[in-house]
Amino acid sequence: MNLGFYPRLAADGIRKNKRMYLPYILTCVGMVMMFYIIMYLAVSPSLDAVKGADILREIFALGSWVITVFSAIFLFYTNSFLMRRRRREFGLYNILGMGKGNIARILVWETVWTAILSIGLGLFAGIAFSKLAELGLTNVMHGEITFDLTVSHLSVVRTAEVFGVIFVLLLLNSIRQVRFSSAISLLRSENAGEKPPRGNLLLGFAGVLLLVSAYTLAVSIKNPLSALLWFFVAVLMVIVGTYLVMIAGSVLFCRLLQKKKGYYYKANHFVSVSSMVYRMKRNGAGLASICILATMVLVMISSTTCLYFGEEAAVAQRYPRELNVNATFTDERDASGEPLKPLREAIESIARSHRAELRNVCAYRYLNVSGAFTPDGEVETDADRLDRFNVSVLGNITTFCFIPLDDYNAMTGENRALEDGQALLYAYRTSFAGDTLTFKRGLTLQIAGTADKFLGSGSAVIDVVPTVFLVVPDIYTTMEKLVEGMSEETEQYLVMRWLYQFDTGLDAEEQKTLCQELRTKLRDGGEQLIHFEGVTVGAIECRELEKEQFFSLYGSFFYIGIMLSLVFILAAVLIIYYKQISEGYEDQARFDIMMKVGMTRPEIRKSINSQLLTVFFLPLLLAATHICFAFPIIEKLLRLFGLNNVSLFGLTTALSAAVFAVFYAVVYRLTSNAYYSIVSGARENA
Amino acid sequence: MSILEVKNLRKVYSSRLGGNRVEALRDVSFTVEPGEYVAVMGESGSGKTTLLNILAALDKPTGGSVILDGKDLSKIKESSVAAFRRDNLGFVFQDFNLLDTFTLEDNIYLPLVLAGRSYQEMSSRLAPLADRLGIGDILKKYPYEVSGGQKQRAAVARAMITDPKLLLADEPTGALDSRASDELLRLFAAINARGQTIVMVTHSVKAASSAGRVLFIKDGEVFHQLYRGNDTDELLYQKVADTLTLIATGGRRQ
Repeated sequence: MNLGFYPRLAADGIRKNKRMYLPYILTCVGMVMMFYIIMYLAVSPSLDAVKGADILREIFALGSWVITVFSAIFLFYTNSFLMRRRRREFGLYNILGMGKGNIARILVWETVWTAILSIGLGLFAGIAFSKLAELGLTNVMHGEITFDLTVSHLSVVRTAEVFGVIFVLLLLNSIRQVRFSSAISLLRSENAGEKPPRGNLLLGFAGVLLLVSAYTLAVSIKNPLSALLWFFVAVLMVIVGTYLVMIAGSVLFCRLLQKKKGYYYKANHFVSVSSMVYRMKRNGAGLASICILATMVLVMISSTTCLYFGEEAAVAQRYPRELNVNATFTDERDASGEPLKPLREAIESIARSHRAELRNVCAYRYLNVSGAFTPDGEVETDADRLDRFNVSVLGNITTFCFIPLDDYNAMTGENRALEDGQALLYAYRTSFAGDTLTFKRGLTLQIAGTADKFLGSGSAVIDVVPTVFLVVPDIYTTMEKLVEGMSEETEQYLVMRWLYQFDTGLDAEEQKTLCQELRTKLRDGGEQLIHFEGVTVGAIECRELEKEQFFSLYGSFFYIGIMLSLVFILAAVLIIYYKQISEGYEDQARFDIMMKVGMTRPEIRKSINSQLLTVFFLPLLLAATHICFAFPIIEKLLRLFGLNNVSLFGLTTALSAAVFAVFYAVVYRLTSNAYYSIVSGARENA
Repeated sequence: MSILEVKNLRKVYSSRLGGNRVEALRDVSFTVEPGEYVAVMGESGSGKTTLLNILAALDKPTGGSVILDGKDLSKIKESSVAAFRRDNLGFVFQDFNLLDTFTLEDNIYLPLVLAGRSYQEMSSRLAPLADRLGIGDILKKYPYEVSGGQKQRAAVARAMITDPKLLLADEPTGALDSRASDELLRLFAAINARGQTIVMVTHSVKAASSAGRVLFIKDGEVFHQLYRGNDTDELLYQKVADTLTLIATGGRRQ
């Protein structure tokens, strides 16, 4: 081959450092592939057929940003391992008479080769797998499948651009490193031992404190709204806490082990504990990163799978009947049954014209009021009087849903009777144990019994705050008393609503057409049949139509969750691999000495195993603990998505943890073999 | 009975394709009696290090045998060589070979930990030894925190703590300044005086002249040997130097 001197030298350098470069290039290929696939899906024309394609595109665009940022950080990290190995070689070149400029040229060529290889192979793999990914996606989204393979030029160009920039940045960083160090320091850099870190009691303690408080926070939160608020705080605390605990805490821990003579002076602990304490500062950061990545993967996979597989049930709970008609009264003081009659007849006649049987009809008037329980147990409905920036107040916000007793009896077929000032109560996602419920400056209700729990469905399911249903004998007097405690501003939001829901006995397509027709004929602005006096028709919802929305939203969450998890797993694996390999090279000399002093090969193997086991399974163990404590808070967050199935979430979490652990164990075996062959290879080659 | 018997030792290195054959040891025979202090001298490339590696069971001879305390080294199984080395031999290397991840104390304990001894036993063995070697107050330090001479004394302690039958030293003064060298050689003489058998490979005349007997190796054979008898260090130094001159100028054996 007629290549120039520098390109050839660079290619040789890559080939000779195969063990370091191969995983690096594979990572780059993997990242490029993922990026291309996500970019491709974001613009893929076959998505047009899928409902909610615009949501999907936005999610994918977001995903591509996540991957960009992550690739940049991660490739910088792995590149630093490579550079540490190469510095010696560059130091030698430097001493042999190459200037820094010449070394920079080698680096440029190395980057060019790596970039060509990884972007080329990555795009190739990306194009090859993009169809598969697309099929997977349309399948997940219940869309229609096409079988033509297309290449998106836009995505190819974007991918090349993004990774081109990342590689240029990597190159600049490497050149900077070579530029600012002398030949001798380059030669010796690999041997520069770190001073044994003194365990920092304060930092370790702070880390434990952070973790404990984050855990307490996660466990003690009762309500999805505060879960949303505190989730990111808790995540941040856990991340910082994990790093502190791993860095300072692990040193402390090893020091403690060293103090325990009976444990430390055993052949299989002696070497591993001492070398771990020696390198714990670097080790700790790596372990913490692995732990965080593992936690991220587990959270992502378990929650998105749970959303995806729970959506059927979630939709059924959100829309208990096939069709919903919502209406509001223009004057809440005249919310008797009268204005409803023509509307009800119109709905029924349209439905019959579609040959629908109206079954399981459920209709009721209701009045929603938000309020917050104050410390004295009473309810404040005037938002201005609440300290809105106090988080504990936010956690107590509740929706109060008032339902007339007549409507309740009609729906349930019961024949309950209530005196004035009495109410039936059903608390959804909260609990209320008192005998009376008092609204400040107005209404006081005596709780006469419990209402049926069928009320805990419909819009209350996706409400971020809990709901208290109150069945009252006379909705007008109730409302008047309520208003007394409200400011004029809050009063404006007080609206009496009517919900009419029914099953049709039609198939999915017919339901959709019926829904479309109801929408055009009943609502303002369409070809409205009748003008209804006193009521305005609001949302008309069809479960089948909503289901498609849910599918496209959760399907894309699920999909992107899996994709990002793959990227993060790839990252975690590589961090482990590079950590072990680079430590293997450092340990080579050490194990050589130990063999001279009389350590046998089985003993080396044992000591490596004990070290690797700790390094591998400590982060996994901590990640599992994180997941356990994150479980309640994530379970509450999932409620915001209408998912209310704790056991399903438990199942998906346990399953993803198990799958992850198996995968992890495989990587562990591979890495430990590579490490062992490096370490023991020293003696064989000597 | 001799503690070490080396008979007709031969070692041939051949390049991987079998083309170039280099005879490092041609025919080496000698014995070492218990309590002896033997220095092996020779120029670079004379086969000293090969000899030592074979004595240490780190390398296999092409021919001949090494018998340590009645046991033929070549008959020991590969799997138990390391354990044999640990229990019977002590090493002192030119570049100390201390592990930088251990304190000096832990470095010294290493062979005993590998042998599975209890901490009480280890520390009771170390205390008198550390006293004699003058490293009692630096045991908790890491190798990079102490001087070369102190590192080498710690290495000697590591070699001695197993009560080896034979102490092997490979250029122990090679990396030390003259003061530290003198100190180490005095230490070796003192250890030897308490009955420890020592075989030391060196090309320092000074080091060799502290031994009880000096073997000269040239071209893979034992060329000559000198006994101290009642000579002082200075007289032996003169004799060793003369012999080296003779070898260097190409004299034949008389």
